[in-house]
Amino acid sequence: MNAAAALPADAFFLNNNGARRFCLYHPPAGICRGAVLYVHPFAEEMNRSRRMAALQARALAAAGFGVLQIDLLGCGDSGGDFGEARWDLWKQDLALGAHWLRQRVDGPFVLWGLRLGALLALDYARDARHPVDAMLLWQPVLKGAQHLTQFLRLRLAGVLLAEGDNSIHGGTQGLREALQAGQALEIAGYELAPQLAATLEALALDTLAPACRVDWLETVSAPGQDAAPGAARAAAAWQEAGVDVRLHTVQCAPFWATSEITENVTWLDTSLAALQERLHEH
Amino acid sequence: MYLDETKTILIDVLSLGENGRHLDADSPLLGALPELDSMAVIGLIAALEEHFDIAIDDDDISASTFASLGSLADFVAAKRAA
Repeated sequence: MNAAAALPADAFFLNNNGARRFCLYHPPAGICRGAVLYVHPFAEEMNRSRRMAALQARALAAAGFGVLQIDLLGCGDSGGDFGEARWDLWKQDLALGAHWLRQRVDGPFVLWGLRLGALLALDYARDARHPVDAMLLWQPVLKGAQHLTQFLRLRLAGVLLAEGDNSIHGGTQGLREALQAGQALEIAGYELAPQLAATLEALALDTLAPACRVDWLETVSAPGQDAAPGAARAAAAWQEAGVDVRLHTVQCAPFWATSEITENVTWLDTSLAALQERLHEH
Repeated sequence: MYLDETKTILIDVLSLGENGRHLDADSPLLGALPELDSMAVIGLIAALEEHFDIAIDDDDISASTFASLGSLADFVAAKRAA
């Protein structure tokens, strides 16, 4: 990795029907190898992973990729409130970013997504106007419903640890029922719209098998360990379905969830090497 | 058998670093580790669910589960066996 060779990133806003989306563009250094569009994760995971995303974007740019990071509607520094965010509007933002990127950068087009961003990238790729040549998935969320439960629990943090019957507070099921009744919920500072919650509830990675080749990175807690059983099963199912997917494991803390900002060079290097190898083969 | 993996996840998620290496099965967690506040517990549960491929219900979450590293590892073992 040679981040020092990277040019400075350009910060600007893309216009989406009058609404502004904050973007960071990392221009490729040297010979252009392709274009990469980053799809960030959801809520707090986005904030915690900002450092690793920035480091990877710089490393990719130094290796000749033009990388665009776009803050989706209601996220980061973009316009709109989180409460207005909808899955399909996020896909429109990605289309906007892809269009901008394809006007500037030639070569293979890569989508790179982290956690829920990986699911968004997979769903977007299914009917993307600009064909996706390869995907880099970082610890993709496997089931939207589980991810939603984990998010809803944030609102119950204090209550769940109190001894007694958790069901008397309604629990995550109670929050789900409120969402299903059309109520928006305030969770950890984010307003979650019932429409977005309903989309998350139904999302599943196994229904989103991509047509392009995929490099999938998973964290493990000790060197040489196998990927978590759920991820290994999902990747194997894709392989059986004919998807050209490679699962890479790296000993790394789950940096999108750690209390302090985590950096892991091996993770970054593995991602870059996987992508370079993939694109070299073709 | 889940003790070491549970310990690594705890250290990673709470960013305990070297201080976490000394933890053993009898080490108290909730109330003893300042890093383990209620929000951190929620993050830890999510990491355990994904790492061990288990589903944790609201009713499973109680202070006693997080009393010690041993109680937490036992909880994971029980969930894996379920």
